[in-house]
Amino acid sequence: MDNEKVVLELSHVSKSFAKIDTDEVTQAIYDISITMESGEFISLVGPSGCGKSTILRLVAGLIMPTTGKVTVNGQEVTGTSPDRGMVFQKPTLFPWLTVEKNIGFSLTLQGRQKEKAGRIEEMISLIGLEKFREDYPNQLSGGMAQRVALVRTLINEPNILLLDEPLGALDAFTRMNMQDEIIKMWEKRQHLALMVTHDVDEAIYMGTRVLVMDSSPGRILADIPIDKALTRDRSSDTFVAHRNDILRKLHFSGSAAG
Amino acid sequence: MPQKEALQNAAESLQIGGLTRKQLQKLESKEKTKKDKRFEAVTLSLPILCGLIAVAEYLYIPDNRPNHDPHMYLYVLFGFIAAYVIYLVVALIRQAGGESAVYEKVHYKAPRYAALFLLAALYDYLTLKTGILTQPFVPCMNFIICAAVGDRMMLWDCTIHTLLLLFLGYSIGVLLGLITGIACGYSKRCRYWVDPVINFLGPIPTSTWIPIMMVVASSLFGGAVFIIALGSWFAVTVASMTGVHNVDKDLFDAARTLGAKERQLVFRVAIPHAMPSILQGCTQAMGSSCTAIMIAEMLGVKSGLGWYMTWAKAWASYDKMFAALFVICLIFTLVTKSLDLVKRHVLRWQTGVESNG
Ligand SMILES: Nc1ncnc2c1ncn2[C@@H]1O[C@H](COP(=O)(O)OP(=O)(O)OP(=O)(O)O)[C@@H](O)[C@H]1O
Ligand SMILES: [Mg+2]
Repeated sequence: MDNEKVVLELSHVSKSFAKIDTDEVTQAIYDISITMESGEFISLVGPSGCGKSTILRLVAGLIMPTTGKVTVNGQEVTGTSPDRGMVFQKPTLFPWLTVEKNIGFSLTLQGRQKEKAGRIEEMISLIGLEKFREDYPNQLSGGMAQRVALVRTLINEPNILLLDEPLGALDAFTRMNMQDEIIKMWEKRQHLALMVTHDVDEAIYMGTRVLVMDSSPGRILADIPIDKALTRDRSSDTFVAHRNDILRKLHFSGSAAG
Repeated sequence: MPQKEALQNAAESLQIGGLTRKQLQKLESKEKTKKDKRFEAVTLSLPILCGLIAVAEYLYIPDNRPNHDPHMYLYVLFGFIAAYVIYLVVALIRQAGGESAVYEKVHYKAPRYAALFLLAALYDYLTLKTGILTQPFVPCMNFIICAAVGDRMMLWDCTIHTLLLLFLGYSIGVLLGLITGIACGYSKRCRYWVDPVINFLGPIPTSTWIPIMMVVASSLFGGAVFIIALGSWFAVTVASMTGVHNVDKDLFDAARTLGAKERQLVFRVAIPHAMPSILQGCTQAMGSSCTAIMIAEMLGVKSGLGWYMTWAKAWASYDKMFAALFVICLIFTLVTKSLDLVKRHVLRWQTGVESNG
């Protein structure tokens, strides 16, 4: 694929939120610096509320850092761009548009009418929802909606793909299928993927790097490279070793958990 | 039923996905027993029966007062019976062809139609036949129909005037309401200026303005348009403001990451998302417009159905007054119904599949 190489860098990024009623502020993340580049698949794990979604939203350009800088190829991120696609924790489909139109939404916005029909077709067959193209989102199951949301973002072929627990709502079986589906796409396109997950196994299985976070304030505890050749098998020794290591870092006592 | 069994088998062998919607409906509906069928037949013939009762009541009970042109009412009664019969026949033909939606509807509505015929008979009995309802203030059906037919040119003229006034005022109000409402829902600064206006005007019923308008406005027609527009403007502004203001923030975020610019956020996310609320406002606006127009016509404007009613009352032609009332009833029902159809079409995504009915 002909997507350009990108380097995403967070340098000394902190983000605080003002509370609504009191004068206090919540420090969501504090002094985070990481560098990531195309071809990497980065899993982000950490306890709830440690600022994982905040990092993704900063990279997407939905919010601005309090201090520090987010840059893509040296250029500071100041707003959203279809080049940095994001799949949210909830499917957030537009309920008044059919599946087809939801998927084509961003091409419509950009006025790319000519290629639209073909691209939508491609995306629909990718997720196997040919029969549901005319349906509205509230006629879909949760897993179907999540799949539509995924390709709605992928249709832009973003150089940076941000995934905020995209598979959280799926059953174990569909989830594994979708994991493989996402990996296949990533292997083909070699974009930069940054995925938040609660599931340590998923993080190891999919990622080339696992970032372990700690909360209050959110910061990165460990940056663990994963050798993909050794961890495609979920019962391999390397896989189990990684899992124990990460669970220990996440303050779970008893490293034999799992 | 063998046909049903065959369907079931087909469904099992073909997978449910191979079914059409019609077949699915048939499969899911209960089997009808003989008794059910007989009961249905009775229900369906009820309106015809009651219509004939109304005819008999009219023909065979002696009149209490002189009745000129007595066949007018009969024409109308037979007209309605004939309309029902045609409707029923169409429904039966459609059902035989496998599409049962029309049939279900007729079956559902038949008791109501029957009740209407009985009501007409009762009304005729209370007025023409016995005079229990004070004559001539409550004229019988035949008088009303004769009045309507006799004065049809004038009534038609008044109807056109009313509709013109209504649509002019309503569409101006709705259009401006949409603009202010959406702008205010989206921009804080706009809300800062419009909020006080709404809070100040909100509690004042539209009809309060009518006497003022009659003094101030150079043309009463223009004044009436203004009042109707004001009422609709208010309803639509409030509804679309809340609608746009309450848009799911996550949808905005999603649209932004998909490349939406500010303007696209408004037109492609905020407005469609606020559509249920906006249309709710439009319906409300129509209600307030209908009220305002009647009051305006009764108090000042020298045309239209409201004016016609007061005029007829002044000449003690109560039959004409009632005729106008029926026409008003009819057009307002039609207007509301068509608005409802628009709403159902635009909001079809809310229910997903339209209900079978
Ligand atoms: N818009 C906001 N306003 C105020 N506080 C916020 C906002 N967004 C996030 N926070 C706070 O920032 C912290 C991190 O939130 P974030 O959503 O990034 O957590 P998370 O790691 O994604 O959690 P989870 O795994 O439960 O989704 C939380 O303490 C939260 O209360
Ligand atoms: Mg989160």
